[in-house]
Amino acid sequence: MKRIGQIFLWGSLALVALWVIPSVVNLMTLEGYSTPFTLYSCTVHDFTALDRGEGSDFRFIDTKGNVYGDEAQPMFYASLLASKGALPDSIEGRKISLEEIEKNKVIVSVRPKDVNKTSAPVYLLMESVPERLELQDPEDALVSRKDGIYVYNMEKNVLLEEKTARLRKALDSLGFAYPAKLFAGNPSHHKAYDEGYLVTDARSRVFQLKQVNGTVQVRTFPQADNLGVKYLTITEFENHATLGYLVDADSRLHMLVPDGRVLPTGVTYVPEKEDLLVVGDLFYYTVKTSDDKGEHFWALRSSDFYPVASYERAYPSGRSLPGLRFTSSLDNWVKPRFK
Amino acid sequence: MNKMILYKEWLKTRWVLLGILLVFAAIGFYCFLNLSKVVEIRGGALLWEAMVAKDAILVDVFRYLPALAGIFLGLAQAVPEIQHKRLKLTLHLPYPQKRMLLVMVAFGLLILALLYALQACLSAVLLAQWLASELVSRILRTMLVWYLAGWAAYLFTWALCLEPSWKMRVPVVGVASAFLYLLFLSRMPEAYNGFLPWLLAYTLLSGVLLFHGVARFKEGAQD
Repeated sequence: MKRIGQIFLWGSLALVALWVIPSVVNLMTLEGYSTPFTLYSCTVHDFTALDRGEGSDFRFIDTKGNVYGDEAQPMFYASLLASKGALPDSIEGRKISLEEIEKNKVIVSVRPKDVNKTSAPVYLLMESVPERLELQDPEDALVSRKDGIYVYNMEKNVLLEEKTARLRKALDSLGFAYPAKLFAGNPSHHKAYDEGYLVTDARSRVFQLKQVNGTVQVRTFPQADNLGVKYLTITEFENHATLGYLVDADSRLHMLVPDGRVLPTGVTYVPEKEDLLVVGDLFYYTVKTSDDKGEHFWALRSSDFYPVASYERAYPSGRSLPGLRFTSSLDNWVKPRFK
Repeated sequence: MNKMILYKEWLKTRWVLLGILLVFAAIGFYCFLNLSKVVEIRGGALLWEAMVAKDAILVDVFRYLPALAGIFLGLAQAVPEIQHKRLKLTLHLPYPQKRMLLVMVAFGLLILALLYALQACLSAVLLAQWLASELVSRILRTMLVWYLAGWAAYLFTWALCLEPSWKMRVPVVGVASAFLYLLFLSRMPEAYNGFLPWLLAYTLLSGVLLFHGVARFKEGAQD
């Protein structure tokens, strides 16, 4: 027993050393690295990176090295340009106004940590047509179980049997296969309107569940049926341009638009491993995916999300000392990993 | 003989156990009084929202209690054994030494398990009045690693006490600190779910350090 004790103690110490020493060394030796904020420009028609010139104001540099001022990003700096009277009247032959520009601003950010976590199968349910016009805090919640989706009143912690039965009937009529796999929603009143939840069933078909005047309404999207959706997110932006983003089984990003169409974008995105940043405006959406190796940019035409340009930026290869780690920037789980 | 050993352990630990029980009861009472007031004033939906939207666990105040209970119970059992080298007498009793140590440690582990089970059951019953079963079980699954930390703290306390030399206590403290730090590394609900069986196996295996310490004590190891 003494021998086993010794093996256990020194083996454990070796593991502790394998954990602590590389962490400390990496903390001391690794240098931070940041990349410039980059957007596709509707005036230059190229990706432009924000740069702080010596002693001057911010400037933008395109992929060919040309330098521009704020006019390279009239959508992002519309208010600033308007205050200087420098906002153009039209771009790409289209008349623009400050109001229209502001209405069409879109920013979506998703990190792997948002995806890789254990969540409770409980989803707060908002009323999308509130009596007092402004969105209110949710009173009910959807609880997803193996055999169905149940509606609970949170205040009293009671199952709303009638509402649940109506929801089940609606889901059954559309062939929903239990249990639900993915739920994507944003139950917050800090948004312009509520679209409820995008949900995938056991066969990865996409549905929308939305409470309208106290009844949970269900809608299907037949165009998404065969995509094998593995990740989705809902978008509730003022311009109503999209209902959500879908990622199919082959990690291709699609835009789900309010009329139910699914538009391919040409973007590849692995939600479990990559960060996603979407910055959209009246003319183009800049989509950036990034992992520990570099960044990949796509420019999508805002009218139909057709990809018009792409650009890659590799990170400098910094070597970290490999060691034992229990946490990761990619997920929320504690488990051993050697890297 | 088993009964006599158990009786001895009971005599050593009863006041500490009473203290631990009172602390658990007081903090539990405070926690649930606090939650009931939140429900009364701001409504039950707030608890659901906190759990779903903010990954709150609601009973965070219990987080370090099991580990502290493990340390105090371990000290209550092990310190009398090492004071004035009384362990020598214990080891000379007409009973297999390893079995005796096992019974003593099993007593502590069982008492802790009962205490933790009592806390978890009462918490589940009280939380179930406000939350759906999925949210209650999420809280309980998150608490599991805290209870495991209680067992680990208990076993490492024993191991530290039984180790006769300070020189060897240093690596034991290093391993114990690192392991307990690992068990409290994340505040995310259910972050340890997949890793828990391995952590449990390691915790139970850490019991060999007790026998390691006793063997060194018998060899006469000292600073």
